[in-house]
Amino acid sequence: MNELLLQGLVNGIILGTIYALIGLSLNVIFGVLRVVNFAHGEFIILGAYGAYFAQKLLGLSPFLAMPLIFLAFAAMGYGLYFVLIKRLAKSDDPEHASLLVMFGVAIALGALMLIFFEADSRSLSYTLDPPFFMFGSVIVPTAKLVALGIIVVITAVLAFFLYRTLPGKALRAIIMNRDAVQIVGVNLERMSALTFGLGLGLAGITGVLVALIFPAFSPFIGQDYTLIGFIVIVLGGLGHPVGAVVGGIIFGLTEQTALVYTSGTTATLLGFLLLIGVILVRPTGLFGREALK
Amino acid sequence: MENARDSRVRVMVWAGVVAALTLGFAIVPFLTDNLSFMFYMMLWIIMASAFNFVAGLAGYMPFGYVAFYGVGAYATGILYKTLEFPIPLALIGAGLTGATVGLLLAPTLRLRGVYFGIVSLALAMAAKLTISLMPADLTGGSLGLILSSANDPLAAYYAMFVVLLLLLATATWLSMSRTGTALRAIRDDQEAAAVVGVNVVSTRMKAWISAAVFPALVGGVEAWYTNAIDLESSFNLLITAKSIVYAMAGGLGYLVGPILGSGLLYGVDQLIWRQFPTLNLLLLGVIIVLLMLMLPRGIVGAFAQRFSKLRKYIP
Repeated sequence: MNELLLQGLVNGIILGTIYALIGLSLNVIFGVLRVVNFAHGEFIILGAYGAYFAQKLLGLSPFLAMPLIFLAFAAMGYGLYFVLIKRLAKSDDPEHASLLVMFGVAIALGALMLIFFEADSRSLSYTLDPPFFMFGSVIVPTAKLVALGIIVVITAVLAFFLYRTLPGKALRAIIMNRDAVQIVGVNLERMSALTFGLGLGLAGITGVLVALIFPAFSPFIGQDYTLIGFIVIVLGGLGHPVGAVVGGIIFGLTEQTALVYTSGTTATLLGFLLLIGVILVRPTGLFGREALK
Repeated sequence: MENARDSRVRVMVWAGVVAALTLGFAIVPFLTDNLSFMFYMMLWIIMASAFNFVAGLAGYMPFGYVAFYGVGAYATGILYKTLEFPIPLALIGAGLTGATVGLLLAPTLRLRGVYFGIVSLALAMAAKLTISLMPADLTGGSLGLILSSANDPLAAYYAMFVVLLLLLATATWLSMSRTGTALRAIRDDQEAAAVVGVNVVSTRMKAWISAAVFPALVGGVEAWYTNAIDLESSFNLLITAKSIVYAMAGGLGYLVGPILGSGLLYGVDQLIWRQFPTLNLLLLGVIIVLLMLMLPRGIVGAFAQRFSKLRKYIP
């Protein structure tokens, strides 16, 4: 096999898992709350800044900062649920209302980061030793390999939580039927707040990983991550955890193998066309079961 | 069923609004040399009202609305600069391009809700990337296109005025004809509307194409007014954001909603913009959040709810 193609495939799988993590947290939020988190990318970038300042001010390595950022973001999400999300349930059209509220949050959060962190691109000055591994002719930076490992662990923990523990099962039950779970004694409000906390906590972790493996980040690029997340979840099926993982890896593979043959712009365009093609054939995504209103 | 007198009053209120807008914007150039404020006021009224055609009257939220605007701007630039069309023809070309893109994207109308919104957003990005991949001698590449030889702000002002008149005519048609009744029926219950004999596909298409043509025309006229076109400003997501916010602040589903919303919020926006450019974005975001949480139906919608007896008179 062509060496460049092999390198593209490896990059595709690694970046695909990052995209899958973004999609997974978006889908957990959408599945449980019917909230489309338009501000997800901005929260990811905030997580990246968290890692940056944890290192600069506290001297913490990104790996030590990660659990702290998760907890801080989860607490923020828990609080934001009561401020922003709870009131939307009464709206005429909660999904569109949530999309617009989070759109507002995205713009405001982007502006706040611009004001406090300034427009310059930042990057983590953190290097691992050795900086990369060679597998035959394929070069894999250690940071990407570590990120891959972390994502696999997080996904496994999340899967265990969702499928093997009682709160996780309650959470999936909410995804399947919001009204029935209340009859069997699930505290919907508390679970919803915890879910938003979990979603934002994962966004924070994603941010640390983004800071670790991409060369730079700035307040302006949150939108790009939101868009990738949306493509991934629509591709896989809204609200479906497995769909997000498959969608993320497909998108990563498409983008990175296209990069081997064409420019970055064409590769991104192909990603969009993939989404549009899939959605026109299967309007609810690869794993979507029923037409979601 | 509403009676004839109510609908007559509503038509008269709307006629009054149309007359006031027409007269007001027609005489601005005789009163001041500073056209810019009123030019952009018209621009946002048109953008928000056309967004209302598809969001308020048909129930779709195209988050990639800016695509039509950007495509219109580039169509004007390419037709004028590269193919050397006169400006009026280039603008007509922009409108036609908008309609064509609308037709091409029509299959997405079978998606519902959030799926439609997100795919629309992806399509806007795809349109931007497609233009960036076109040959640089056509689109000016990353530098964009400069139309300085066409510079004529007063003529561009009146071109926008003509687009505004077209918009008001289309709004009247879409809302007050049988098409308007059919659109509302589809928005409220698609299946029921189909059962009573409404042609869902063609009715919805009328609203969709109208909502595609106006941003394309506006993008073209704005390009003429500022003499400059580039990818970042022509496809800036904030154009979608502001169209949505202004339309929602006024009240989706009412013709006067987006007009009122644009008038008020654009004014506030300009005041803040002059004083604190960075805070502008932050405030835009905070206003969206507060509007959605406090006033989800907009100013006109809240008024209609509070004074429900007057509701039938609001166009």
